[in-house]
Amino acid sequence: MEETISVANLSRSFNGVLAVNDVSFSVRKGEVLGILGANGAGKTTTIECILGTQKADSGQVAILGLNPTQSRKTLFEKVGVQFQENSFQEKITVGELCNLTQALYRETVDYRELLERFHLTGKVKSLVSELSGGERQRLFVVLALIPNPEVLFLDELTTGLDTKARREVWKYLLELKKEGVTILLSSHFMDEVEALCDRILILKEGNTAFFGTVEEAIRSGDFACFEDAYLAFSGEENIDESF
Amino acid sequence: MRAFRKMFTTELKLSIRGMDMVIFSIIMPVVVLVILGVVFKDKAASDNADYSFFEQSFGAVCAIAICAGGVMGLPLVVSDYRSKKILKRYKVTPIRPIMILSVQILIYALYAVTSLVSLLILASLAFDYQMRGSIIAFLGSYLLVMISMFSIGMLVGGLAKNVKTAGLMASILYFPMLVFSGATLPYELMPRPMQIASDFMPLTQGIKLLKASSLGHSVSNVLSPIIILMLLAILCSGISIKYFKWE
Repeated sequence: MEETISVANLSRSFNGVLAVNDVSFSVRKGEVLGILGANGAGKTTTIECILGTQKADSGQVAILGLNPTQSRKTLFEKVGVQFQENSFQEKITVGELCNLTQALYRETVDYRELLERFHLTGKVKSLVSELSGGERQRLFVVLALIPNPEVLFLDELTTGLDTKARREVWKYLLELKKEGVTILLSSHFMDEVEALCDRILILKEGNTAFFGTVEEAIRSGDFACFEDAYLAFSGEENIDESF
Repeated sequence: MRAFRKMFTTELKLSIRGMDMVIFSIIMPVVVLVILGVVFKDKAASDNADYSFFEQSFGAVCAIAICAGGVMGLPLVVSDYRSKKILKRYKVTPIRPIMILSVQILIYALYAVTSLVSLLILASLAFDYQMRGSIIAFLGSYLLVMISMFSIGMLVGGLAKNVKTAGLMASILYFPMLVFSGATLPYELMPRPMQIASDFMPLTQGIKLLKASSLGHSVSNVLSPIIILMLLAILCSGISIKYFKWE
């Protein structure tokens, strides 16, 4: 099967401390990969090194067969990104931000349809800074979808969303997946991971603790459910026992 | 090009919505010009000068907008867009983050040109002003002053650690230059020691050039301001291009 994202031996350190250590994995076309791990495990650093917004110390990355740094202009016509921190100009409205984002790409989805889909139509004239946390999060998912991406990067996509909104985002992502869109996401929610992800990568202090399917993770040990498996791999279970 | 146009119109709208540049680079020069025109209406520049004090000051007032945009507006917006991670967001789009910086430079240039045009219209209608020097030479001087002041702004905005540092440095550059370079308070009214101190400010050199070209003085009188401004532009833009912090 075609590999849409391939990462080989990716390493990155900050001030001599390894944030990501020799991580390798691949994501096939139409697959959803979830990167999991405790805070500071290296999820965001991994995603940013893949995107090229952080420079890896070593390793190779290809998205759609292209080097994200060298072929930035071509590649990012087809890649949608939602960063963990949402960045926007002060005093910009929802409509203006969508309109501006749409102008950056050659081929796009009409942002009005996306706003409609994510229940933000009534907010077009509102300032982005005045949106609630959940509304803003949905808006940044919309922005990531505007280029009609073949590959989607979502860093903690549903943090701050209520249950209903999360379900709606999942539903939409599963539709995209059916259309063949490849998705790489990071998440702290196990239900989300089980609902969306074909394969998962669990990071522990920058190292690969597990790479495979949710079932494989559960079967790999004496785990009652995926959350138990996750806690064991990510090294978070020890903290629980100390209570 | 479509992206650039859209970004320009959006950023301009946001900037006007902010109002500060409208006040500091469009309204303020007009107010200063009116005050100078009313107070020094028929006063000669000096006993043996054939031009008036107002004519002499016109070039200086034109520099206010350049100063406001260059050393206050630009550094603040550049450091703000970096710390808000807006520059970073553009790294994962087909356009380069440098586009939004070019857009900002163009916006501040537009403010300066708008200010210049409104000052020319106001001065000629209300105070019978007519430029003695060649308008081409004046526009050339204006462009050089703008490039050198904007390059200072890019240096400050590009290298400042955060918005706070950028704001502090912008204030240190902006307020003294606004008052002591002759842009608002006429250089000719300053006591000699103050003039000497003022000569160290880049904008003072720019104003000397603008005055000379608007009064039709020969280039040989203002060679040193021209050289200083050029060196400053090359140095500041060189350093800011080499050491610009994108994050």
